Amino acid sequence: MSARPVAVIGVGQTHHKKARADVSMIGLVREAAERALADAGCDWADIDAVVLGKAPDAFEGVMQPELFLADALGGAGKPMLRVHTAGSVGGSTFIYGSHLVNAGIHERVLTVAWEKQSEGNAQWGLAGGRSGGIGAGGAFAPFIRKYIRDTDAPEYIGWMVAVKDRQNALKNPYAHLKIADISIEKVKESEMLWDPLRFLESCPSSDGACAMVVGSEAAAAAAPNPPAWVLGTAVRTELSTFPGRDATRPQAGVDCAHALYDSVGITNPREQIDVAELYVPFSWYEPMWLEGHDIAGPGEGWRMVDDGATEIEGSFPVNPSGGVLSSNPIGASGMLRMAEAALQVRGLAGEHQVEGAHVSLGQAYGGNAQYFSMAIFGSTQDAVR
Amino acid sequence: MTEQHDDRHVVTTTLEFPYRRSLGPVIGGFARALAEERIVGVRTQAGDVLVPPTEHDPRTGESVRDGFVDVGPAGEVQSWTWVSEPTERHPIRRPFAFALIRLDGADTALVHAVDAEAIEVMRTGLRVVPMWRAERTGRITDIECFVPAGLEG
Repeated sequence: MSARPVAVIGVGQTHHKKARADVSMIGLVREAAERALADAGCDWADIDAVVLGKAPDAFEGVMQPELFLADALGGAGKPMLRVHTAGSVGGSTFIYGSHLVNAGIHERVLTVAWEKQSEGNAQWGLAGGRSGGIGAGGAFAPFIRKYIRDTDAPEYIGWMVAVKDRQNALKNPYAHLKIADISIEKVKESEMLWDPLRFLESCPSSDGACAMVVGSEAAAAAAPNPPAWVLGTAVRTELSTFPGRDATRPQAGVDCAHALYDSVGITNPREQIDVAELYVPFSWYEPMWLEGHDIAGPGEGWRMVDDGATEIEGSFPVNPSGGVLSSNPIGASGMLRMAEAALQVRGLAGEHQVEGAHVSLGQAYGGNAQYFSMAIFGSTQDAVR
Repeated sequence: MTEQHDDRHVVTTTLEFPYRRSLGPVIGGFARALAEERIVGVRTQAGDVLVPPTEHDPRTGESVRDGFVDVGPAGEVQSWTWVSEPTERHPIRRPFAFALIRLDGADTALVHAVDAEAIEVMRTGLRVVPMWRAERTGRITDIECFVPAGLEG
């Protein structure tokens, strides 16, 4: 970025669960926001603006929830903005907030993303209120079948990703799914939902929220904990369908990745990035995004999985937090990728910390694999080597 | 074209989607108190009493203090609007007022219906008291309506 340096100075998230019946929507977003403020050593009064993101309003049936949540997020009398880019929204909400600091408009911006899936029905919401919705898995399964056909990937690759992410989730105190006895056998024997996706290869439905405080260099210097420098951000979008579209490797995803890498001087992402948090709601999206963002060559993504490269101890760890496969409060899922990527370079990821992580990638996608938001975080402003 | 219709040519379908809402500790506590024929608020860090209660001070975002404060049950009309032709979905079937009522001990106002019998009775500053339902479920409708003080008998 050419303008002012931007840092993540505070990160907070809720414990994600199937139903957080113990809290209201207000209580849910405040739980994440208060943790982020505490991490940043800030109070509500220190925040200049609030940016809120969530997936479609029909999911909970609250239209324009940013209006009723404004004062719950300390937004009275401050600029407040809502972002909506489907499943990628958490990522783009954070990115928008970072731009407000980057452009010199604000010193500290609170970004918050959330979903309370237990209060509605996402499948019904996705179908626009019509019956007969096929769900996100039904939309993505044909893309996955095409990937498998094009690359001759063995069936067990999806099972491996499902096991790896659930094992990682056991190290993340906030993760929703904790399947202590997860195994290839267990995934393989789980119910087929949308061929080739089995039940345990799919994300859960979660209630949860995530918040990030982004700040200027001065704000980072005043914060008690180490910052994650936001070295670059990129957002790209394409239409959901058009003739000749490659849904397995959407052009918007390729363009987003290259715009990001170019902006921070990354020429070999697999070598220069230490850890990635990718939006993987269905197991096969791990190898698909490794290839779709040119981290791996064609047909090499599934080989990275097969070789164990994406495990927490591997050469290119992916989703040490357990990822979307372990916690999926939809609106927050994209921000969780950014937050977890930031925690890694701050050295604050706890039990799922990747040793020596200095450069991390956060990525989120949404809609019909058509909205992309990506960011590179560094432990220092010159971390990319 | 005739105006005649045959029931066999009409299919009526009602689509509905029931959303759920978890109330959380603060609105949840307010609801539980209603079932006990009590109205409670919360105190902000600055000392104001909010009724109905919220989890935060809407002006600052700060969390409210722990614990509830009993208020009312009587209060004062701060502002009102007259509903001269109630529909079957209104809380009272004869003409009534929707009013902002600041209960004794509260610093904010609660919206509720006032059964005043005639528009001439309504005025800002009117003292009102709640009429409780015999069977209460922890909902705002546990208060059937407010009536002018002195007319509750």
